This record gives sequence, C-alpha cells and structure tokens, in this order.
Amino acid sequence: MPSISLSGIEDRLSRELVAAWAIAKKDVLIYYLRPGVIVGGVLFPLFMFLAFTAGKLATPVALVPGLIGITTLFSASSIEPVSVPIERRMATFDRLLAAPISLNALVLGESLSGLIYSLLIAVVVFVAALVILMTPITNIPLIVLGILFSSLCFATLGTLFAAYPTENPGDIISMVNVVRFPLIFISGVFIPIATLPSVGQMIAYISPLTYANDLIQGGYNGKMMFHPIVDVAMLIVFILLFQLIANYLYKRFND
Amino acid sequence: MEAIEVSHLVKQFGDLTAVNDISFSVPVGETFGFLGPNGAGKTTTIRMLTGISPPTSGKATIFGHDIMHETVAARQSMGIVSEISNVYTDLTGWQNMMLAAQLYRIGRSEREKNASEILKRFELYERRGDKVHGYSKGMRRRLTIAMGLVNGPRLLFLDEPTSGLDVESNLIIRDMISDLISEGVTVFLTTHNIEEANILCDRVAIIDKGHIAAIDAPERLKKTIQSVQSVEVAFLDGTSPERLDELRRLPMVNNARKEGDKFKLFTEDPTEVIGGVMAYAQTHHTRVISMTTLGPSLEDVFVKLTGLQRGGGVGAID
Ligand SMILES: Nc1ncnc2c1ncn2[C@@H]1O[C@H](COP(=O)(O)OP(=O)(O)OP(=O)(O)O)[C@@H](O)[C@H]1O
Ligand SMILES: [Mg+2]
Repeated sequence: MPSISLSGIEDRLSRELVAAWAIAKKDVLIYYLRPGVIVGGVLFPLFMFLAFTAGKLATPVALVPGLIGITTLFSASSIEPVSVPIERRMATFDRLLAAPISLNALVLGESLSGLIYSLLIAVVVFVAALVILMTPITNIPLIVLGILFSSLCFATLGTLFAAYPTENPGDIISMVNVVRFPLIFISGVFIPIATLPSVGQMIAYISPLTYANDLIQGGYNGKMMFHPIVDVAMLIVFILLFQLIANYLYKRFND
Repeated sequence: MEAIEVSHLVKQFGDLTAVNDISFSVPVGETFGFLGPNGAGKTTTIRMLTGISPPTSGKATIFGHDIMHETVAARQSMGIVSEISNVYTDLTGWQNMMLAAQLYRIGRSEREKNASEILKRFELYERRGDKVHGYSKGMRRRLTIAMGLVNGPRLLFLDEPTSGLDVESNLIIRDMISDLISEGVTVFLTTHNIEEANILCDRVAIIDKGHIAAIDAPERLKKTIQSVQSVEVAFLDGTSPERLDELRRLPMVNNARKEGDKFKLFTEDPTEVIGGVMAYAQTHHTRVISMTTLGPSLEDVFVKLTGLQRGGGVGAID
C-alpha cells in the first residue's frame, strides 16, 4: 500500500513544516529587535567593515563581498543564541519540546528565523553597496546562492550552539564567538587564503565561510577558488552536519 | 485501551531518585489526581508522560502509543498545562493562542474559532489584542490553560492549575475543568490542595519522595484525611513524656506526639478533643497557654497511609 504510506509521509511532512514555520514566525515577532541581536548581528559586521576600510587594507568596493560574507555569518547566527536561553528561562521552550513534531522540525524552525533575518540584512547591505559604492557585479546568481546557503548554514550553527543547556544568552554568545571570530581571518574574507600559513590554509577548508565567501567573491569579481558546485555542495554538507549535531545535542541535553 | 498506562517508571537526576518505580493506569474519561507535597515528583512524572523528559527506566503509553517510541502520535491528542505560566509575554494573547494551535497544525478557520470560544470562556477575549506583558498573574494562568485546550485534547495534563490564584480565578478554572470532565476529556491533574483533589478527581494517587503511597477514591481518602486533623496544645509547665502518654489516652485522640514546646493530638473530632484537653488541664492543675486546631496536612496523610514514622526511611514502603 505505497499510496497510503506516501500520503502518511506527506501528512507528517506538512505537519512538521507548519510547526517549523510557526516557530520561526514567533522568533521574528519577538527577537528581531532585541538589543543583543542587533549588536551581534548588524552592528558588529558594520564596525568590522569600517575598521578594515579605515585601516586602508583595501578599497571599500573590494571589501563589499567580504562584508556580505561576515554579515551573513553574524546575523544568521545571532537569533537562536539569544532566543533559546530566554525561552528556557521562561519555560516556553518546554512548549516547543512538547509539541507533536520531531526535534528536526524544531531545529529547522529555530534556524529558519536566523535564515530570514540574515537574508533581510544581506539584501540591505547588497543594495546599499550598489547604490552608495556602485560595486560592479559579475554574476548575481552566485551571490544569491552564496547568501542563501550560508545563511541557512550559519543559522543552523547558531541553533546548534543554543542547545547548550543554559538560561543565559551571554554563555552561548561567547561560545559562538569563539568560532565566529577566527572564521573571519581564515576563510579568505579579508585576508586571501593563499597568503595564510599552511596550517591556516588547512583550517580554511573546514570553514563553511570559505565556501560561502568563494561564491560571493565569484559573484562580484569572478575570482573563485572552487567550482560553484563544490561550494554549494560543501555548504549543504555543513548544513546537514550541523542539523544532525544540533538534533543530537537537543536530545542529549534534554532532561 | 487506557488513556494513560504507566509501568515501573523511574527518573533519576544524578544520585537523586525523583520518581521511584511508579505504576498506575488511567481509564479514558477519568479525572486522575496526583496529590503530593513540594518536590514529590509530580512535575517530573508529567514531563515523562508528555515525552519532554526521558525516563531512566520503565514505560508509559498514551492511548496505546509508547511515549518514547511513538512520541509524535502520543502527543497528538494531548493538551499540556505546565506549572509555570509559560506564555510568550512579547506576544498578544491571540498570537499565543495561534502559535499553540499551529504547533498542532490546526487549520486557520478552526483555530480562530476555537481560540475565540476558549478565550471568551476564560474571560480573556476582550484583552486578546494586548501583549501578555500587561496581563495579571491570574490572566496569564488562564491563558496558559486556554493554550492547552486549543487543539481540543482528549487528554489534558494540568500541573497545579490553580496554585497561587485568587478565589475568582480558581472558580473559573475549576468550572472549566468540570465542563471538560463532563465532555469526556481525560484529565491528569497535580495539586497539593486536598480539597481540590476531592472536588475534581475520580481517583487520587498520593505521592511523596517519588513513591505512590496510595491510589484511592477521594471519598475513602477523605476518611483518612479526616482522621488526621489535629489539635496543637501548649501547657504552662512544658512537655513531659508522661503527659504525652496521658494525652494519648484522652477520648477521640487517635495519636499524639511532641512537637517543639507543644503536643500535637490527631483526631477526627477536634471539638471533642479541645473539651478533653481543658478538662485534663483542670484535673492536673496546669494551664493551657495556647491551643490551635489544624486541618489535615499532606505530610500527615502520607505518614498515616504509609505507616511511616517521621524521619523514617521511605525505602520501607515496598
Ligand atoms: N532537572 C532536574 N535536575 C535535577 N533535579 C531535578 C530536576 N527536576 C526535578 N528535580 C528534583 O526532582 C524532585 C522532584 O521534583 P518535581 O519538580 O517533580 O516535584 P513536584 O512534585 O512537581 O514539586 P512542586 O509541588 O514543588 O512542583 C525534586 O527533588 C527536584 O529537586
Ligand atoms: Mg511541580
């Protein structure tokens, strides 16, 4: 009876997606304008950009692709590290844990809000750069792919760290930062990977930001390290890996 | 099929055994009370039955679905009201209701209809557009229960639904529970209020330190409870062991013990005992400096049911 089981799967899937969307929407309504989210997700990448510009490491135009990369990293991973601990404290997280959905749907729902946040901010940066700096563009689809996949990837990373069972957002934000900051320097965002010491180059390969940045750089100036399919495939691998680990951690830390 | 079936459920947190090998079942349509003092293991039991917290060992099924292995199916027909009013204070009452319904995939027209009806019943409809920040404690409690009902559950878990509320909020909530019961909803309710358990429940389990001491109909439980009312009395000239023995022999006194500078006399008839104590004071040439009647305490009921002495090991129950 394949048709019955198929409709069962469909039913289950749509149930999970409706719930995931409801979870994401709640985060949009509640957390997007929180000070901690704004500072971590918007102001920090902006300061970084200004610092590099003021330091005359490169022209503003040359820095735009890198700016989009780190903005995506910081904004996508800034929602869940704030929202999940707060919800633990308010016990609203129990509501989500007790819903008739899988943990995968919960993790996805949480990550979706980071994804949407990051997309909104990336669009603002993209348009601002276009209007103010008149940045030349080679290949828009590459930029879109880069922003889309890296946003989901970093949002899932944020959800993964938020699994750590604390009621204090600060705990998780500092853990995420231990990962986010080094990524800026080893992923070819502002410092080309070829100029890194060999250890740095090796680490660059296991940084999702390397592949995201490669796509975005390719979209702006046509210079790429990898084939776009490799970049996208690697980002998908990281997304699935983070989803899996997050799923495991939420189960594990759940008492 | 039973609504809830629990066998040998255990939950340990490190060295602490919060729930210690409990077994019971709740038939469809029953209102089952879990009565116990703070820290007894009531919330931990609910968290296991709703699949939030994995049991250390043992098994629980909800309408035949194993909560560990068929979690989603088991949860489908549940409503859960946690002991903390866990509502989103940055959302409005209405948005909270919609979110709760969407987690159960209730379609738009149905969830709007359900939410309106329930909010009206809980006298929150007029305030549905206000953020929960501005709600009073009683309103938040009512909203929490309303959210637990929005999916039309066949089985409702209520963790201390009325604790800390005023009389009016209590009445609204108790009326609602009675209505649900008459609609055939199975209710699992925790409380440390004996009266509440008596009013609402078909059967009550008494739990303390993770053990179920007794499961019985409230009427029979009430008899036990009646027999542990008490009179506390202090005499001018202190508390000698001989006096304790003499007090034990007074009419209607079931048992007596020394508590600090007072004696505590257990009875089902406090009035009679007060008379007896006054007469005793006269004949023994002493004076009563204070005397209070006390309702049954949960601790006393538990001690009575298990035949344990105070401070005795709980392990002796089995
Ligand atoms: N996550 C946890 N980690 C460690 N110990 C816990 C945890 N949750 C509960 N406990 C312990 O388990 C015991 C039972 O707690 P539980 O919350 O189930 O009690 P309760 O009957 O609901 O009490 P109350 O009436 O105060 O709500 C307590 O000793 C509590 O400290
Ligand atoms: Mg409790």
